[in-house]
Amino acid sequence: MHAVKRQMILGVTGILMMLVSSVCFGAGIPDKVTINSIQKYYAPVSFNHAAHINKLKDCGLCHHHTTGAQVTDPNCARCHKNSGAQAVVSCKGCHTAEPFTPEALKQQRDQQPPIYHRDKPGLKAAYHISCLGCHEKMHGPTGCQDCHKRNDGGDAIFKSGKYAPKAPAKPKAAHH
Amino acid sequence: MIERRDFLKGCLACGVTAATVSVASGKAMAAGSFEGYPDAMGVLVDLTRCVGCRSCEAACNAEQKLPEPDLAFDDTSVFSDKRRTTEKAYTVVNKYQVADKETLFRKIQCNHCTEPACLSSCFVNAYTKTKEGAVIYNAKVCVGCRNCMIACPFNIPAYSYSSPLNPLVKKCIFCYDTRLKDGKPPACVDICPQQVMTFGRRADLIKLGHDRIQANPAKYVDKLYGEKAVGGTSWMYLSSVDFDKVGFDGHIQNEPIISNVKDFLGFVPMVLSIWPALFTGVHLLATKNKDGHHDHEEGDHQ
Amino acid sequence: MKQFLSRNPSTQIIDSLRKDNDKGRPWTLMEKIFLGLTPQQYLSQAMSNPLNWIFAVIFLIGFPVLIGRYIFGLSWAVGDPYDNAWGLFLAFGLFGMVPLSSSGFQLGSAVEVFGRHDFEPIERLGILNGILGYFFAVMFLMVDLGQPWRLPYPMVVSWGPEAVLFLVAWHVATYLSVQAAETSTAFFEWMGWPAGKTFVKKMALGLAVAGIILSTLHQGALGALSTYAPGKVHPLWYSASFQWLYFFVSSLPGGLCMVIVVSTIAVKTMGWRCDGTFKNSLSKLQIALAKGASMGLITYLTIRLIGIAHDNKWAYLGTGWGAWWMFEIGFGVVLSMILLTAGIRNNSVTLVRMGAWTTIIGVVLNRLNVYMFTFNWQQGHVHIPPIREIIITVTVYSVYIVTYRAILYRWPILFKWKTRYSEYAVLEPTPAAIAEAEAASSK
Repeated sequence: MHAVKRQMILGVTGILMMLVSSVCFGAGIPDKVTINSIQKYYAPVSFNHAAHINKLKDCGLCHHHTTGAQVTDPNCARCHKNSGAQAVVSCKGCHTAEPFTPEALKQQRDQQPPIYHRDKPGLKAAYHISCLGCHEKMHGPTGCQDCHKRNDGGDAIFKSGKYAPKAPAKPKAAHH
Repeated sequence: MIERRDFLKGCLACGVTAATVSVASGKAMAAGSFEGYPDAMGVLVDLTRCVGCRSCEAACNAEQKLPEPDLAFDDTSVFSDKRRTTEKAYTVVNKYQVADKETLFRKIQCNHCTEPACLSSCFVNAYTKTKEGAVIYNAKVCVGCRNCMIACPFNIPAYSYSSPLNPLVKKCIFCYDTRLKDGKPPACVDICPQQVMTFGRRADLIKLGHDRIQANPAKYVDKLYGEKAVGGTSWMYLSSVDFDKVGFDGHIQNEPIISNVKDFLGFVPMVLSIWPALFTGVHLLATKNKDGHHDHEEGDHQ
Repeated sequence: MKQFLSRNPSTQIIDSLRKDNDKGRPWTLMEKIFLGLTPQQYLSQAMSNPLNWIFAVIFLIGFPVLIGRYIFGLSWAVGDPYDNAWGLFLAFGLFGMVPLSSSGFQLGSAVEVFGRHDFEPIERLGILNGILGYFFAVMFLMVDLGQPWRLPYPMVVSWGPEAVLFLVAWHVATYLSVQAAETSTAFFEWMGWPAGKTFVKKMALGLAVAGIILSTLHQGALGALSTYAPGKVHPLWYSASFQWLYFFVSSLPGGLCMVIVVSTIAVKTMGWRCDGTFKNSLSKLQIALAKGASMGLITYLTIRLIGIAHDNKWAYLGTGWGAWWMFEIGFGVVLSMILLTAGIRNNSVTLVRMGAWTTIIGVVLNRLNVYMFTFNWQQGHVHIPPIREIIITVTVYSVYIVTYRAILYRWPILFKWKTRYSEYAVLEPTPAAIAEAEAASSK
C-alpha cells in the first residue's frame, strides 16, 4: 500500500519538476543578477543565475513556493501546496532591505494571519543564509571575499588593508 | 535631667541617620517586582546562524568610535583565545568547539537586563534602564568604584583603567544615543550578514524564539536563554547545544540580582527603628543606681 | 625614644597643659608636637629608631609609586583587572581594615551604654583604633577609586539609594564624624580646650548608640556587597542569607583582638607613654576583651557552619578550595578560640595575645578570600595583584602605622592628661605668658 503511494508521489513530483524547469527557463528569467545591497563595504556580486539554475534545477531551493514549485516543507505546504507561481519572484520583492525599521516591525506584527512569515529574514540575511548554507553543503566557496571583494569602505570598517592597525601585532588579548 | 537630655540627643542622632537611609530601603524593596517596560526592545541571537565574520565587532568599533583594535577585524587568529569585553571592545565573538567537527560562535555584549545588577549596585545611580530597553551609563557622575563590574552576572562592564584623569566604565549601550532612541537597531544587528540577531520588541521576540524552537525542535535546545535569567534580559539567545558549552552560565539564577541583597536590605529599617530604643533601654538598666556615671572625666586626680 | 629617655631621665615628656617648672607656663604647640624635646633631640631619637629607617625605605620606594598611580592611571598600578575589579586596595584596605576597626563602637558602647567603666583605661585606644582604621580605609578607597575627587558624589551630586554601597558610603561618612567627635575629647585636652570636651562628653551616650546602629549596618553591608556576585564568590564563602552576618559577627572579635594587639605593641614599644593605670590594668583588660572575642568567634564559627549546612555545601569541602576554607577556619577561628580560651582559663596574657594575632589574620584572610582569592573561582585561576599594587598597599598601611604612632605619642590615649589647675592656682601665669602661648597655638 505504502510503497504504491510513495511511487505515485514520486511520479507526480517528477512531472511537476519538469514543468517547473520549463517555467524557470521561460522569459523574464535573468541569467545574471547584480547584487549590491552592501556596496558600502563590498563590491557588487554578479550572480550567475543561469549557472545555478543549471546546477540545481529546483527553483524552490531558493525561491520557496513563489515560482510555483512544489513545496516540501509541510508547514509551508498547508497554504502553498497549490498556490502556484506568484507575481513577485525576486528575492528583494519579499525580503526587505531594512527589516528592523519601526514601520517594518509594525507591518510584521500586524500582518494577517498573525502566524506565518513573521520570522522572515531581511534581504541581506536572505542572501547569506541561503547562499552560504547551500555552499557549505555543496562545498561551494564560503569565504566573504570569495563572492564579493571588500572595497575601501569595507577595509576602513574592518581596519584591514591600508587601514590595518599601526601598532605592532602584539596581541594583548584580554582573556579570562 | 542630664540623662533625659542625653537620651533625646541620642534619639535625634539616630533619627537623622534613619531618615537618610530609609529612602534607600523603600526604593530597593519596590525594585524587585519590576516586569520591564512594555515596549522595550530586545535582540534575539541565534547562535546557529553565526559564521564568525566579526562584522559586528567592526561595526561596533566604528559606531561607538572606539580605539583602534590590536588586530584587524578580519583576523581570525583571535579565536584561539576566549575573549571578553574590554574598554576597547564592547562586543566580541568567541569560537567554541562543541563537537568533533562542529563549532559554534557566540557574540558577547551587554545583555541589557530588565533589572540590571549594575544599576542596582551603583551608589550614584549612574545607570538607567531606558523605556526602549537599553541600559545606559552616565559618565558624568561615575566615581569609579567598579561595583557594577563586581555585580554584573555576565562580566560585561570594562573600565578604562589606563586613563589617569577620566577613567570610565565602558560597555555596550545598545547604541542608544545614535540609534535605539530613534527606533533603529544597533550597529551590530544592522551589519550582520546572517541576521544572527533579530531586533524587535522583547515581548515579540520571546514568542519568536519559542516559535523557532517549535518549528525546528531537532535543531535547538529547548531554552530561550535570557527570557528568565536574572529577571530577564533584553538580549536573548537560541543555541543548538547546551548553553554551558558555549560560555554561558547555564545555572544562573532566575531571580534578579537585587533579590540576593534583599535579606540584608530588609534588615536595615529594623535596625534603624529598634536599635536606638533597645540600647538606650539597656543603658538605663545597666547604669541604674550606679554612682558617678557622669563623673568619670579625668582631672584633679593628682 | 626608650633609649633617649634612659639617657636623659630628667626630660619631662609632655603630659599636661603646663610645664612643671617655669611657673607652670603653658606648653606651646611646637613644644607639644616635639613632646617637650628640642627639635634636635627629637630628630636624634627618631634617627636611632631602626623602625623609622624601615619606614624611610618603604616611603622612598612607595611614594613615587603612589604618585605614579595618579599620573599614569590605575592600570599602571593594578593592570586591567576587568573580572577582578576589586583588588588589594579594597579587599585588604577597605574590607580588611574596617572589621578590625569595630573596636571603636564596641568599647564606646561597653563604657557608655553598658556602664562598664572598668574598660575606661582602654576606651580611648579602642576609639582611636576605630577612627584611624576607618580613615585609612577611606584613604585606600581614594587610591582605588577611578575618580577619587568625586568621592562626595553619593552624598551631594547623585543618589543611588537602592545600592548597598550607598548605605556603606553614608554610614562610613556619618560614623567617621561620630568617631571624630568621640576622639576629639583627647584632642581637646591636648589642645587645652575644655569647653569642646565638655560639649562632646554630653553627647557620649547618643554617639555610642549611633555607633552601634551604624556599625551593625555597615559591617554587615560590607558582606552584603558580595551578595551582588552570587556566582563569583566561591560557595564556601558565600551565603545569600548569612553573608552580612558573617561579616558583622566576625568584625566583633576582629576589632577587640586588634585592640589587644595594638595595646600590646604600645606597651612593649612605647612603655614610657603609658601611665600606671594603663599598664597595671592592661593584662586584666586584655583578658576581658579576649572573653568578648571568644564569644564572638564561637558565634561566628557556628553561623559559618550553619551557612554550609543550610545550603548543603559539604561536598565542596573535599575540593582544593575546601582545604583552603578549612585552613582559614582552622587557623583563624578554631586555633584562635583555643588560644583565647586557654589564655582566659590560665590567666595567660601571652596566649591571649597570640590568639588575638591569629584572629585578626583570620578575619583579614576571610575578606581577601571573599573579594580577591576566590572571586571568579570558576574561571580557574586566582587573582594575584601585581607588584605596584602591593607596594602602594604597604605604603599606605605604613602611613597608617606612622600616624597611629604619632597620635599615641602625643594625645592622651594611653595616659591621663594631667590638669593640675589646683596645684598652680597660686602660680597664675603672667598675661605675657598667656599671650605667648595663644600666639603659638594659633600658628
